[in-house]
Amino acid sequence: MSATTATAPQSGHSLWQEARRRLRRNRLAMACLWIIGIYTALALYGEGVYRWHQWRDVTPSYQRTDLDKQYLQPSYLRAPFAREQMDWATGETYTVSGWQRWGAGWTRLAQHPLGTDGLGRDVFQRLVQGTRIAYQVGIITSLIAIPLGVLLGCLAGYFGGRTDDFIVWLYSTFAAIPGLLFILAIAMVVGQGLLGVYLGIGLTMWVGLCRLIRGEVIKHRDRPYVAAARALGLSHVRIIFRHILPNVFHVVIVTFTLRFPAAIGTEVFLSFLGIGVQGEPSWGIMISNARLRLWHGVWWEMAFVTAAIFFIVLAFNLLGDALRDALDPRLRTEGEGDHE
Amino acid sequence: MARYILRRILQMIPTIFGVIVITFILFNLVGGSPGAMTLGHHVSPRLLEEFDEVRGFNKPLLMGLWSGTRAFEDADFSRSASPWQGKKGVQRQAVDTRSGWAVSFAPDESHLIPLRFPLHPETRFRWSFRYRLSEGAHAWIFPADADELDKDAEPWREGTPFPAAPDWRQWRTMIDTSAQPDQQQWMLYVTGGTLEIDIVRLQRRANHWFDSQFVHYLDQIRRFDLGYSSQTDQPIGQMIRAGIIPSLTLTVPIFAIGLVLAICISLVCAFFRDTWLDRFFVVLSVALMSINYLVWIIVGQYVLAFQWGWFPVWGYESMAYLLLPILIGVVSGLGTDVRFYRTVMLDEMYKEYVRTAFAKGVSRKGVLFKHVLKNALITVVTNVVIAIPFLYTGSLLLESFFGIPGLGYLGINAINSSDVDVIRAIVLIGSVLYVVANLFTDICYAWVDPRVKLT
Repeated sequence: MSATTATAPQSGHSLWQEARRRLRRNRLAMACLWIIGIYTALALYGEGVYRWHQWRDVTPSYQRTDLDKQYLQPSYLRAPFAREQMDWATGETYTVSGWQRWGAGWTRLAQHPLGTDGLGRDVFQRLVQGTRIAYQVGIITSLIAIPLGVLLGCLAGYFGGRTDDFIVWLYSTFAAIPGLLFILAIAMVVGQGLLGVYLGIGLTMWVGLCRLIRGEVIKHRDRPYVAAARALGLSHVRIIFRHILPNVFHVVIVTFTLRFPAAIGTEVFLSFLGIGVQGEPSWGIMISNARLRLWHGVWWEMAFVTAAIFFIVLAFNLLGDALRDALDPRLRTEGEGDHE
Repeated sequence: MARYILRRILQMIPTIFGVIVITFILFNLVGGSPGAMTLGHHVSPRLLEEFDEVRGFNKPLLMGLWSGTRAFEDADFSRSASPWQGKKGVQRQAVDTRSGWAVSFAPDESHLIPLRFPLHPETRFRWSFRYRLSEGAHAWIFPADADELDKDAEPWREGTPFPAAPDWRQWRTMIDTSAQPDQQQWMLYVTGGTLEIDIVRLQRRANHWFDSQFVHYLDQIRRFDLGYSSQTDQPIGQMIRAGIIPSLTLTVPIFAIGLVLAICISLVCAFFRDTWLDRFFVVLSVALMSINYLVWIIVGQYVLAFQWGWFPVWGYESMAYLLLPILIGVVSGLGTDVRFYRTVMLDEMYKEYVRTAFAKGVSRKGVLFKHVLKNALITVVTNVVIAIPFLYTGSLLLESFFGIPGLGYLGINAINSSDVDVIRAIVLIGSVLYVVANLFTDICYAWVDPRVKLT
């Protein structure tokens, strides 16, 4: 123990404490964390709404069509505080006055705040459900890709030799297949629905992580602390997962943060093409619906979906950069981008 | 050098083999029936069988002699007496076998084995039964036409008798449709007791042990035969050849313009690093990256082409039709590229030779363009060569939105109509190109950068 204290940094902080301190000082990163927090809360709320309706076995409000409320503009554009108001059901106008005008105005402002779509469904509710699905895809694909990438990367880096050859062969084969087409093919083969999306994205996402982890583990393999652990007679599993993995885990976190938005983007794309989510308001399906309505001048559905995707992806991208700077400044941007 | 190149080429082989295996696993194994995927689940089994016959999907997967046929699905009666459900003289009953259920056939009657379609001619098949015969019972399986069955002639005597089986036993009998092309309907005849069948199965024989789907696939690849599109019945090779040019007219300008722009902006960033200009470009590129690709296309097409009328909306007739897709492609890809090249440039900026150059009094401009750019070019070249296969795949969305008849358009159409063979061909060619491009990158690398060891 005394040997480590001699070489430890003067501040006495661990890597993670140091990283947290650096991240705290980065105001942009903190703002991103807040945005991600809000989205997460919305996704959880959406999950709650979804489960509740499923449990009660009723059509949720975001799926119920109401042709009286077709194409309502966002509430603030409908002049909620005006004297003249129109009844949606009958189309008659009526006057509100006095206190009612203000009291009911706030209620009107809260009704369909982001407008409704062509079937009278609330855009905000649908966006929340889209958030839920995006999170679901991001998390489940990570749950497929991260264990796979970490395990194979560790094995390849630690054992080297034949194991390494095999794993390198495996990931270079996966890397050789054009990404988006591969995802599409997997989704097509597995069949429509979310399972295809999860597998398609998950089975292509592990490659980059595996490569990074392998490189890091190779760097650590011959360090003295690993040699010491070996001399103590610890098992390989213990050395890999208790000693080496914590030291390379920042790679996993940074990759997760940068891959999460990519997974969301791919889900949007797949759902847009009709091989992703079926019958639920995913962002891709909303874009696909809004696209036709855009030509009729219904801009708000498109605008709000775009904004919703934009902010979550932006927040994750910026946070990923900040995390990378905080945890390991040496890590570089990964090779090619998404050549769609 | 020659040895290095040769070694790299040899290293390519396992990767290409891996790609072949993965596409095989994906399309032949995971997908279940490619016929059902392409034609839908509601077509007749006969059509599916023909589809499989043409594409070799009715052979065994890896190796082996026997594979199933859709003419008669394996029956073990654990759920129903199907295919004898409701037939006269056939009863389903609980027995002490693994499936727990068997059907028993009444004596002195002939029972038709219902095939869904006549068996493929000139092929060998075999019937496998797990059955039991009661004391003194005899049973035959024989080919006959159910409508013209003459009971008095006792046609079953011509067929194959079931061996005596007081207890459950497995028995197989071969049939050859090339020897007797009229063997299209098969019947059972029982006399003197009951025949109980636990499992019945019809299998077709492949030509030899390695007459399998995988070998068929390898053979197709060896012959450069990509098969036929099930949607348009055109040869896939021809479709791909027709699609390459439109794809390239779109992707090459996008790539070239995007590359030049990204490198220029990243040099500006590196030149003015840590000033407001640099930060502005960084934020801008992250923002550009974060806008969904679909939105670029949809809004670009709607606003620029439809509302403002600056560009044609849809089609592929002249250069003008390409301008908007190229613009959208460049803008949407710019963010990622600028970020990447900026990191590359800055990485070089912190190297020691740059410090030395500054120390000996080289101007900022001189360092940037003479030293940094030259060294950064190695990474740039790598990235350029590696991007070449993606140029071939085309741009799935841009092409289908703007009606450019390239490979992306082909791919999207194939996915929408579940045209398995077309997708498989595009994936395969794209992967091979990627592997070849990788080879070229490494060779360029070894050639440009003397530090790379040729071992």
